[in-house]
Amino acid sequence: MKHPRLKILLALLAPALAWAAPNPRLVLPDFPALVQKATQAVTITLDPALLSLAARFLDGNDPQDAATREIIKGLQGIYVRSYTFDRDSAYSQEDIDAVRKQLAAPGWNRLVETHSKKTHANVDIYIMLDDNKAIGLAVIASEARQFTIVNIVGAIDLEKLHKLEGQFGVPKLDLDASKAPH
Amino acid sequence: MSQDLESQLRAALRPIAPSATFEKRLIACVTDDPQHSQPKANRVGGAGWRSRARWLPVAAAACVLIGVGLQNRLQVRRERENGLEARRQVVEALRVTSQKLDLAYEIVKSQSSSFTDENPGV
Repeated sequence: MKHPRLKILLALLAPALAWAAPNPRLVLPDFPALVQKATQAVTITLDPALLSLAARFLDGNDPQDAATREIIKGLQGIYVRSYTFDRDSAYSQEDIDAVRKQLAAPGWNRLVETHSKKTHANVDIYIMLDDNKAIGLAVIASEARQFTIVNIVGAIDLEKLHKLEGQFGVPKLDLDASKAPH
Repeated sequence: MSQDLESQLRAALRPIAPSATFEKRLIACVTDDPQHSQPKANRVGGAGWRSRARWLPVAAAACVLIGVGLQNRLQVRRERENGLEARRQVVEALRVTSQKLDLAYEIVKSQSSSFTDENPGV
């Protein structure tokens, strides 16, 4: 190494730089109290190893599997917490705020903020950009009887996301046109 | 002296009639199944043991091979189960994500249409 001092300096600074780098991974609690109350609870934690394992079991000849494989190719993690209740207001605002606070960290940008007075549904979509590339996505959806948090970590291609919306019977979402009416 | 010895011998070796069951016992011994008595000799003897011992390494190797094969098969099966479960979770996660993006889309769409209705000139 031509510059050993530089190497040592970089090695010393590496943890600090890593800490300062925006982290698209949210710390999602397991919400044990909500699990007890919920009629249906979905807890999904997919780390890089599980994503890679899942990709091996997706059939390349099946169009939906092929699209799914294409979407998860650049991802490092998918984390979902979703709880359905049999009555209104079964969860508190504090449950949501604990996660929402993390989205105030540098790097996160709110892409969409929606609120429906009719259905009392709120959906916020956040995106983390690094060098103009999406490296993280977070969705917080709070409805009268359902509370959902989605955190996708990794190189998210919004074009692929558009494709995803065409799958599973869901219509395409025009992300550019849907910038939140607050 | 010699006469005395002779008389003693005669007395000792005098013919005696066999007992009533002697004949039956003799016939039973002669006609006894040889398969019953033969293995006893083999069990005690070393030849049988040696012939069996020759097969022991083969049996042990077969056991090891079967064990390794079973373990490998179990591992493949476990990996397949884990893979299918991971696949199911990926599909479920993307389904939930799609659902929520769709919900946001529906809300935005309904709000835009009500905004257009309220402001037809815009």
